[in-house]
Order: sequence, then structure tokens, then C-alpha cells
Amino acid sequence: MSTWLIQQTQALRLVLSRFRHNLLSTVFISLAIAVSLALPVIVYLVLDSFSGVTTTLKSESNINIFLEPNIDHTVRDSIHNILASHTTIESFIFVPKEKALEQLAQTTANQNILAGLDHNPLPDAFFIQLSTLDSQSISALTEQLRTMDGVAEVQIDNAWLKRLNYLLTIGKKAMFVLVILLGFAVFAVIGNTIRMQILTQQEEIEVSQLIGATKSFIRRPFLYAGAAYGMIGGLFALLISSGVILLFNQSISALASEYQTQFSLHLPDFNVFLTTCLTAMIIGLLSAYLAVSKSLFKSIN
Amino acid sequence: MIVLDNVTKRYPGSQEALSNASFTIEQGEMVYVTGHSGAGKSTLLKMIAAIERPTSGTVLINNQNVSKLRASALPYIRRKFGLVFQDHKLLYDRNCYHNVALPLSINGITGEDAGKRIRAALDKVGLLNKEKAMPITLSGGEQQRLAIARAVVSRPAILIADEPTGNLDKNYASDILDLFNAFQQVGATVIIATHDALGAARKQHKILHLDHGILTQPEVSA
Ligand SMILES: Nc1ncnc2c1ncn2[C@@H]1O[C@H](COP(=O)(O)OP(=O)(O)OP(=O)(O)O)[C@@H](O)[C@H]1O
Ligand SMILES: [Mg+2]
Repeated sequence: MSTWLIQQTQALRLVLSRFRHNLLSTVFISLAIAVSLALPVIVYLVLDSFSGVTTTLKSESNINIFLEPNIDHTVRDSIHNILASHTTIESFIFVPKEKALEQLAQTTANQNILAGLDHNPLPDAFFIQLSTLDSQSISALTEQLRTMDGVAEVQIDNAWLKRLNYLLTIGKKAMFVLVILLGFAVFAVIGNTIRMQILTQQEEIEVSQLIGATKSFIRRPFLYAGAAYGMIGGLFALLISSGVILLFNQSISALASEYQTQFSLHLPDFNVFLTTCLTAMIIGLLSAYLAVSKSLFKSIN
Repeated sequence: MIVLDNVTKRYPGSQEALSNASFTIEQGEMVYVTGHSGAGKSTLLKMIAAIERPTSGTVLINNQNVSKLRASALPYIRRKFGLVFQDHKLLYDRNCYHNVALPLSINGITGEDAGKRIRAALDKVGLLNKEKAMPITLSGGEQQRLAIARAVVSRPAILIADEPTGNLDKNYASDILDLFNAFQQVGATVIIATHDALGAARKQHKILHLDHGILTQPEVSA
């Protein structure tokens, strides 16, 4: 075995035995870290799940086209053909102005108003259902429709989509803030824990330095400890967030089925797992490094 | 070989603890450092062991100028020494076995190899049966012997002991001196500080006598 490997396993064994000796405090510290990590993870999963909604709730997104008053039927047919071949369009219906007028005339209040008109003021219209919620392809489509011959007006009925997108943007900002703030919290918790451990091992550190321990020898176990706290905290955080999401999912799917849709919050996948654990480990490592460098080598050389 | 050339040590806010000390200790020699309390014995040993840096002068260990070494190189110099501190510096949060294990783990020696050496060292100082005992449960003399076991466990080329027999009764004191002699016999340099006249054993060896930080009997050998 190489010296390097021996040194690493030596430090790792030391850390593991220290963790085992102080199992209860290790668990509690890791839980504190886990709670801080779980919050942004849950927020992320909720946001991720709702971003998914934007593709499942297609039927709600519409574009309405109103045609020019005295449009030639060949122009109207060519619009019809273009719509029929467009990939971002799920389906569409054509409502001629006569039919629109009929529908309007079904209520008596309107009948009175319409009676005073000498011609049909309503235009022909296409009502389009989109197959996408991607805002870029939607705006590309509306642009194309607007510039088409015979089209008087294009209405996008996507208020709910806008609202959802605003909410998602707010949510993403909130998550960003949470990640920063709680990242600092994790940093502080791990740093403090390491500082406490350094205090309790002050004697050992001093004696070790006197008889030839290098700084990295002394630093190494603390770095491992910091990274390990981060990793264990990350694992706990995934358990906590999975638990919370499973708890909510029962009620959420019940609610969703009332709306004839299927919806549930996502559980953490491998990417979330990796990101959480790695981030937490790196925070732990940095925090431990800072704590060791600050509190160790003040007195001796 | 250890060479001190015109070494002076002044601690911050006090007068000179060691003044212009110059001497040479050959590889394999056994040397006593004597003098009254406060004469500067511990200071001299710490200077040799690269624990304190001289205020002026040079300290050479095997032709390496310790006084000029970078801080990052000091640990490797220190590993050449086995140190018995005047205040023992035992770790009271772990048992005897693990106290003795410390220098080995610093040198990257663990596992069975370490275990054998640790038990051999404990055996040499008569503490093999106290392997699992915590240092706080040991008598003063036993703690001193534990400190000696920790100093010899990594078989250092230079053994430095500060008052190693202070708390020991005659029998154990002579046992320990025998141990040091055995060490010297296999080629190690042994440096022992003591303020007590040790009698016969000492007479055959070089003595560095300090009086208020000044070497009064440099290079007196038998
Ligand atoms: N860390 C220190 N800071 C300031 N002064 C010190 C320090 N260490 C030692 N001294 C002073 O240096 C002088 C020599 O001390 P040293 O410990 O070398 O004496 P000693 O010969 O080992 O004494 P003893 O036999 O009592 O152990 C003393 O006057 C002491 O007060
Ligand atoms: Mg002393």
C-alpha cells in the first residue's frame, strides 16, 4: 500500500471510530444538517413536479384566431391547411361567423342587442389547442399566425400558464435563497462541530505536533469528519424529503383526481441524490478546513 | 551527530535561559544534562529536538541546520527523536496501549506491526499488564514509565529524556537507566536531563552542566 493510501485509511478509521464512540451526537448533528438540506431539496422537488405539469395540462392552452370580415374562402382554406399541418397544434375547430352569431343569440338579452344590427358583426374564428406549453414555440406560432393573410387578430389564452410560470420563477428564486442561506447554516453547524472537536483534542494535537506530526496529518481526520457530516446529513436529508413527499402525495393525488388529472410530487432521483450529497460534502470539507486552519496552528510554530 | 554552536535562547519577556552554548554530541553517545532547577536543561533539550528555535546560534542535527528549517520540515526532524517530556504529556482520554501507539500512527505504522511494537515497549518498562488501563489510574512512576515507552516505541535514533527517573524508586530508576543503556548499545544517541546527582551510572558518560543558562563544564568526558 502506498503511504498516501495508508494515511487516508488511517484518518478514515479514526473518524469512523470517533463517530461510533459519539454515535448519539453524530446522529443529532447530522440531523441538524439534514433538516437544513431537506428544505431546499423539498422545494426543488415541488418546483420540478410543477414544471412537469406544464406538459401534462396541455388541454388548457388555447390560441384563438379571428379572421378578417369579408375573407375569401380560398384564403380561409389555406389557413385551415397550415393549421392542420402544424406540429405545435394539437387540434383546432373552425367556427364560422353565422354559427357564432347563433350561439350568441341563444340568450334573450343578446337577442335584443342583435336585433338592432343590420349585419353580422362577428368574424370567422379558429379555436386552437396547443400540443406544447413551451413559451418560445408558442410565441413563434403566434408570430406566424399574426402575419398570415386574412388573420385579423390572434388571442392567446394562456393566463394560467403565465401565472404558473411566474409562480415557478418565484419558487426558483426562493429555492436559490434557501440554498444560499441554508448552505451557510450547514457550513456553520459543521464548522462549529469541528471546532468543538478540536478543542476536546487540543492535547492530542499538541503532543502529536511535538513528536513529529505534520499539519496535514492533524488536519486530515477533521476534513474527513467534515465531509462525512455533510454526506450523512445529505443522506438523512433525502430520507426526510422522501418521507415528506410521500406523506403529501397521498392527499395530492386524491386532490388531483378530483380534477380528472394525475399529479404527484416527484421523489428524489439519482441526480438529486448526487447533487445533495456532493454539495453537502463539499460544504463540510470547506467548513472543516477553515475551522482547522483557524483554530489549530496558532501557538505551535 | 548533534552540534550546537553559540546557541542562545531568550523566551519573550524573560532573561536568557541558555547563553552561548556550544558542544557536539556524537552518534551513539550517552550524555547527561545536569544543573539546578531553572538552569536551562529543558530549554537545551527542546532546542535539540526542534521544539524551540534558538534566539541566535545554530543547531545542527546530522548536518541539517534546524534553526533555518522551514516550519513544514520540522515534523520530519522531530520524528528522529524519542521524547520523554518532563511533564510526560500523556493523553488521559485513552488507555496505555493507545498512548504508546501515537508516535507509530504519526509514522504511518498501524495494525499488527504496531501492536507488536507497542507491547514490546510496554514490556520493557514493566507495564505490559496495564495495556488497557487509563493513564489516570497509574501511579506517578508508572506514568513516567508509560511516557518512556511512548518515547522508545518508534526506535528513534536519538532518545531525549527530561527527568525520566524523577518519580521512580531506585529499582525502577536503575531499570530505566539499563533500558537507556541498552538503547545506546544498539547505536542510539541518548540525552538525559536530571538535576539530581545520579552517582556511578553517570560518571562514565559525558556531562553537560548548566548554571543559570551557562555551560560550565563543556566537553567533560570520562
Ligand atoms: N516557555 C517559557 N517561557 C518563558 N520562560 C521560560 C519558558 N520555559 C522556560 N523558561 C525559563 O527559562 C529558564 C530555564 O527553564 P528550563 O525549563 O529550561 O529549566 P530546567 O533546567 O529544565 O529546570 P527544571 O529542573 O526545574 O526542570 C527558567 O528561568 C524558566 O523560567
Ligand atoms: Mg526542566
